[in-house]
Amino acid sequence: MQLKHSHPGKTLPLRRKLMAASYALLGATAVRAQEFNGAPADGGVLGRLLDGLTVDSALAYYHEDGRVQAVEPVVDINKAFANGQSLDLNATFDVLSGASPNGALTSRQPQTFASPSGSSFTGKHTYVVNPGQYPVDSNYSDVRVAVGASWNVPFTRLTSMSFGGKISGEDDFISATVNASIAHDFNEKNTTLSFGVSNEFDRLNPVGGAPVPGSNYDLFEKTGAAKTKDGVSALLGVTQVMARNWIAEFNLSVDRFKGYLNDPYKISSVLDAAGATTGYVYESRPEQRTRKSAYLENRAAWNQFSAALSLRYMQDNWQVRSDTAELRPRWTLFDGNHYIEPTFRWYRQSAAYFYTPWLLNSDQVEFQSSDERLGAFHALTFGVKYAQKLHYQEDRPGSEFSVRFEYYQQTFNQPSAPTALQGLDLLPPLKSILVQVGWRY
Amino acid sequence: MRYRHLSIFFLLAAGALASGCSSIGVKPWQRDVLAQDSMQLNANPLDTAIDDHLYFSKEASSGGRSYAGGGCGCN
Repeated sequence: MQLKHSHPGKTLPLRRKLMAASYALLGATAVRAQEFNGAPADGGVLGRLLDGLTVDSALAYYHEDGRVQAVEPVVDINKAFANGQSLDLNATFDVLSGASPNGALTSRQPQTFASPSGSSFTGKHTYVVNPGQYPVDSNYSDVRVAVGASWNVPFTRLTSMSFGGKISGEDDFISATVNASIAHDFNEKNTTLSFGVSNEFDRLNPVGGAPVPGSNYDLFEKTGAAKTKDGVSALLGVTQVMARNWIAEFNLSVDRFKGYLNDPYKISSVLDAAGATTGYVYESRPEQRTRKSAYLENRAAWNQFSAALSLRYMQDNWQVRSDTAELRPRWTLFDGNHYIEPTFRWYRQSAAYFYTPWLLNSDQVEFQSSDERLGAFHALTFGVKYAQKLHYQEDRPGSEFSVRFEYYQQTFNQPSAPTALQGLDLLPPLKSILVQVGWRY
Repeated sequence: MRYRHLSIFFLLAAGALASGCSSIGVKPWQRDVLAQDSMQLNANPLDTAIDDHLYFSKEASSGGRSYAGGGCGCN
């Protein structure tokens, strides 16, 4: 069934009623039906442009306690055409600043580090971390711009394909991704089977050059040449309508990345037997990583209440295992024009096999990293969103204004500290907040 | 061992979905609830994108809902 544009005319109310009935029959999973209602009744160039157009935008502010903060505006424009095709364009702009952990360990002695652009431990390109303080580079800043597009093409009444691409650039990093997927409906459109592949190409130009992995931090062994990594991903998914008020999705995915997978700004402390810091080395990660994940999402609704529960299990050949559970209940309030949606998320991961909070002088290892993101920890997210439907455009029931707040905390498994470091908070928790305002037209 | 249990759970869930597909579902005229905003599998794509970027840059895991992605230079 092809959805047709509405045309100006006196029979518009009846047509809209018929369209609304058609959309209800089709369901909104494959087609965001309500968006077709957006055409102004008087048509014209503007009317054709706005017909099937959805603009979704948000401005987010992210703040970590004592570390990084970011401002992130995002906009997504989706245009649905009369032939069933749709084009989606999106753009993201990130401005980050603040302090980022450098991987070194807290010490009872002052520690002097060189900024990424520095080539010695004297002068302005250095920073000093006081005794007992968690080592962070407080001069961290970055700007990220990302643009993406995707094109959805229905081939038959039951089969559609999607093609997409994305380019993301930072001061020291650029990434390009292309993807394609196919989806097929069967069982009266109660079941959708989809398969997609993605290919990503990344190029790194670290500030000050890329350090030789595992090399002595004091020697500034860096190369000016850009580093690359690339990856392929595949995703197989099943979406199933379970009941009139229940839909489920199950995905299996695998991805493989190879190349320069280090964080060029992360180092590890080297300790003597008593726990005193004797030096630092740059981290050294394997040059290949394969991840597999399973994802299950269920959504159900009862009158004014609905809920989404998602579960994910992931493992990789770095021996990271993780579990994620997220619950988003939603209460629709008053006349149906407001809703409140709390968020609860629980996450835990095991450490990569080469993760170590520190190295000993006697250690001889091929791979090592003290990047806490590869360590064992659990994280909790609590959030709430409030949204209000906007009725100045009665033909756009999807229009809404929203505000969202989230609190996120990571708690790390504490290592058994050497005598000289006992009593220090070696892996302090990460605490952050996110505030977001959104507007959808 | 607990990870193995979780894997078994997911496999059972997948099996239940696959085997039951042909006999479960609704008729076309019963999709009123499924058409609601809150029942769309990615009801708030921008919220999801912002959250996923946060988690991606702070955790060792990513993807599942969609492609994992290999890096933003921060990970």
